[in-house]
Amino acid sequence: MTFIEPFTDMVPSFFGMLNQGPLTLTIFLHTIIILPMFFIYRQEKVRLEREGKQ
Amino acid sequence: MMTTAYKSKDLATMYFIVATVLFGAQLLMGLIGAVQFLYPEFLFEIFDFSVARTVHINALVVWMLYAMIGSVYFLLPDETGIETVGIELGKLGFYVLTVAITVVVLVYVFIQIGPAAESTIWLINEGREYLEAPRWADIGIVVVVLIFVYNVYATAIKGERTGIVTVLMADLLALAGLYLAGMFFVDNISVDQFWWWWVIHLWVEATWEVFVGGLAAYGLIKMLGASRQVVEMWLWVEVAMLFGSGILGLGHHYFWIGTPEYWWEIGALFSALEPLPLVAMFVHVIYDWGKQAGKNGSNTINNRPAFAWFVMNAFGNFLGAGIWGFFHTLPQVNIYTHGTQFTNAHGHLAFFGAYATILIGMFYLNLQSKNGIERMRSTFNSKMAISLISFGVMGMTIALTVAGYGQVLVERAQMGATWDAFFISQQAQWFVQGMGWRLAMGIVTIVGFVYLAIDLLSISKVNHEKV
Amino acid sequence: MSNKIVSVWTDNNFWKRSAAWITGFSAILLIWLTFDTLGQITQGTDTDMQKDAKGLYFSKRIPSATVINYKIGYEYSDKRGHEVPTINGKEKFFGRDDYSEEEAAALLHLGKLGSQAKNCMNCHTLLGNGAYYAPDLTKAWLDPKWKLMMAITQKKTREEAMAEFLQHPSKYPTHSRRMPNLDITAAEAKGLVAFLKHMSAIDTNGFPRNFGKKDITLRERSAK
Ligand code: HEM
Ligand code: HEM
Ligand SMILES: [Fe+2]
Repeated sequence: MTFIEPFTDMVPSFFGMLNQGPLTLTIFLHTIIILPMFFIYRQEKVRLEREGKQ
Repeated sequence: MMTTAYKSKDLATMYFIVATVLFGAQLLMGLIGAVQFLYPEFLFEIFDFSVARTVHINALVVWMLYAMIGSVYFLLPDETGIETVGIELGKLGFYVLTVAITVVVLVYVFIQIGPAAESTIWLINEGREYLEAPRWADIGIVVVVLIFVYNVYATAIKGERTGIVTVLMADLLALAGLYLAGMFFVDNISVDQFWWWWVIHLWVEATWEVFVGGLAAYGLIKMLGASRQVVEMWLWVEVAMLFGSGILGLGHHYFWIGTPEYWWEIGALFSALEPLPLVAMFVHVIYDWGKQAGKNGSNTINNRPAFAWFVMNAFGNFLGAGIWGFFHTLPQVNIYTHGTQFTNAHGHLAFFGAYATILIGMFYLNLQSKNGIERMRSTFNSKMAISLISFGVMGMTIALTVAGYGQVLVERAQMGATWDAFFISQQAQWFVQGMGWRLAMGIVTIVGFVYLAIDLLSISKVNHEKV
Repeated sequence: MSNKIVSVWTDNNFWKRSAAWITGFSAILLIWLTFDTLGQITQGTDTDMQKDAKGLYFSKRIPSATVINYKIGYEYSDKRGHEVPTINGKEKFFGRDDYSEEEAAALLHLGKLGSQAKNCMNCHTLLGNGAYYAPDLTKAWLDPKWKLMMAITQKKTREEAMAEFLQHPSKYPTHSRRMPNLDITAAEAKGLVAFLKHMSAIDTNGFPRNFGKKDITLRERSAK
C-alpha cells in the first residue's frame, strides 16, 4: 500500500492532486472556509467586551 | 396596521395577478404531460409531451419570478419606510415583460420547433430545459430585471436599509447576473451544461433560497411581531449556511457531464450540508411562533392563511429540498438515479415546498394590506386550498418516488440504461401504477388550485377585522 | 443596545461578517474551479485524436469532432473503476472516415443546433439532464437497439438507420410511446447523428453504468 494514492483523475490538476482518497479535497476546502471564522469570532468578542465596559 | 397607499404595493398586485394565472397554466400543462405518460396517443403530433413540458416548467419559473418581483415591491416600502423609487419605470417593465412572455408562450404553443439554425434559437425556442425562452426574450428579460434591480437599489439607498433589505440587495444582483450565464450557444455540450447549471442550481439552491430566507424574516416580523434583531440574526446565519453549502454544492451536477472527477467529492459533501440551513429555517419559524404565542396567546397571528403557507414553506422546503435532495445527492446513489423519475419527484416537492408555498403566502399578505384588514382569518376555501394543493403535491411526489425507484432498479441497476432498458422499466407495474397515482394526485392539486383562485378573489369580502 | 455583554453567537455583526466571508470565499473557489474545469472540458483537436487512436483511451474528456472517423467503445477501466470511452480504430461514417476537422465540426455544430431547435431535451435526457419521457441519449450511438433498427429501417449501417429513424420517428414505433415527427431534414439528421456519436465519446466518469451489458431480457431470449 502506498501512502499517496495513484492519481485517478483523468487529467492532473491542482484540485485533482488534493483529491487523494476519501474526502481529502472536500475536507480541505471546508476547513479553509471555516477556519477564518475563528478569527472573526475573536475580533467580535473583543469588540463586544469593549462595548460592554463602556 | 398602517395601510398607507403605497404605489409600490399596487405594482406588487399586478405582478401577483399574472403569477397566479401562470401558476394555473403551469398545472394544466403538467396534467397534459401526466396524461401522456399513461395514454401516449393523447394529442400526439399536435401538442406533444415536449411542448406541454416546456410550457409547464417555463410557466413555473416565470410565475415564481413574477411573484418574487411582486414580493419585493410589496415589502420594500415597509422595510425602507419610503415609496419605491421608479414606480413608473417599474410599471413599464411589467407591461414589456408581460407582453414578451405572452408572445413567447404563443410561439411555444403554436410554432413549437424550428429548423436547426441560429434563427430558431433567437426566435422560437432555445431548447435548453428551463431556459427555453428564445434569445430575444432573454434580452428583454434582462432589461426588465435591470429596471427592477435599479428600483430596489435606488429605494434602499434613499430610505432605511434594514438587514433584510441588505440581504435582498446582494441576493437580487447575484440572481439577475446569473441569468447571463445561460444566454449563449456553444457546440460543446459539456460546456453548455456546465453553465446551464450555474443558472439552475445557483438559482434554486443559493440565490432563491436566500431570497426565501429574506421573505420568511419579513413575514415573521409582519405577522407575528417577532423581534427584528433576532430575526435578522437568524437571517445572517441562514445566508452563511445557504451560500456556504449551496455555492460549491453546485458540484452535485458535475458528476457525469464530462467534468473532472474531483467534483464527486466537492459536490457530495457541500451539497450534503445543504439541508442544514433548511432545518435551521424550520426551527426558526416554529421557535418564533411558539415564543410570540407565549406572549400574546391566540391573537398572535394577524394573517392566518398567509401564516399557514409560511409554515408549509418551512416544512416543505426542508422535506422537498432537504430530504428528497439528500436522497440522491451522493455520487454513489446519483450514478443510478441521475435523470429518472426520482429526480422528478424531488423537483416537484422542492419547487413546491421551497417556493410555491411562501409566494402564495405573499399573495395573502398583499390582499390583507390592500383591503386594510387588521386580522385576516382563513376561510373554508383557504383551508381547502392549502390542504388539497399540499396533499396533491405530496401525493404526486410519493407516486413519482415509487415509480422512480422501480425505474432505477430495472432500467439502471439491472439493465444498463439502454433504449430497451428504459422502456422495460416504463412498463413495469410499479412504474405504471405510480404514473396513475401521479395523475390522480395532479387532479387533486388542480382542484386545490381552483379553491385557491376562488379564495384569492373572495377572501377580502369576508368579515375580517378592518383597520 | 444595552451595555451588558452579549454572546458572540447571538451577535448580528458576527454572523453578518461570517456570511460575507463564507459567501465571498466560496464564490472565489467556485470561479477558480470553473477555470480549472473549463480547461479540462474544452474540446480536443484532431491532432490529439490521431495520437490517441494509436492506443485505446482518449486523452481529452471531450474529443475533437473528428471522433466521428473512429470506432467508439465503452469499456471498464480498472484504473478508474468504471467504464470509459475507448477508440478502436477507424470506422466509416456515412461512407467516409476522412472528415477534416472543419467538416466534422460543421456537422457537430449543425447537430447541436438541431438538438436545441427540436427541443430533444424536453422528452429525453442528454448526459442525464432533461426530461424523463424518453431514453437517455448520452450513449445512444452505442445502443444495441440500432442493430434491430437497421433491419426495421432496411439500412445497412447504424448511422443510416439512425438518420432514417430521426426523419420519420413515428413511422417506426418500438413501444406504445412513440417519438413524434419533428420535421428533421436529411442534412439535419446527419448532423444530429454526428452530435450523438460525439456525445458517446465524452468521458462521463462512468455514467451510465453497465450500459448495454445486460440488454437481453428473458423474454427476448425465450422468443429466440
Ligand atoms: C397538476 C399538477 C402537476 C402535474 C400533473 C405535473 C406533471 C409534470 C410532468 C408530467 C412533468 C414532466 C416530467 C418528466 O419529464 O417525466 C413535470 C415536470 C416538472 N414539474 Fe410538474 N406537475 C404538476 C405540478 C407541479 C408543481 C405544483 C410544481 C412546482 C411547484 C411542478 C414542478 C415541476 C418541475 C420542476 C418539473 C421538472 C422536473 C425535472 O426535470 O426533474 N409541477 N411535471
Ligand atoms: C429549493 C431548493 C431546490 C429545488 C427547487 C430543487 C430542484 C431541483 C430540480 C428541478 C432538479 C432537476 C433538474 C433537472 O431538470 O434536470 C434538481 C436536481 C437535483 N437536486 Fe435539487 N432542488 C433543490 C434543492 C436541493 C438540495 C438541497 C439538494 C441536496 C441536498 C438537491 C439535490 C439535487 C440533485 C443531486 C439533483 C440532480 C438529480 C439528478 O442527477 O438527476 N436539490 N433539483
Ligand atoms: Fe442542485
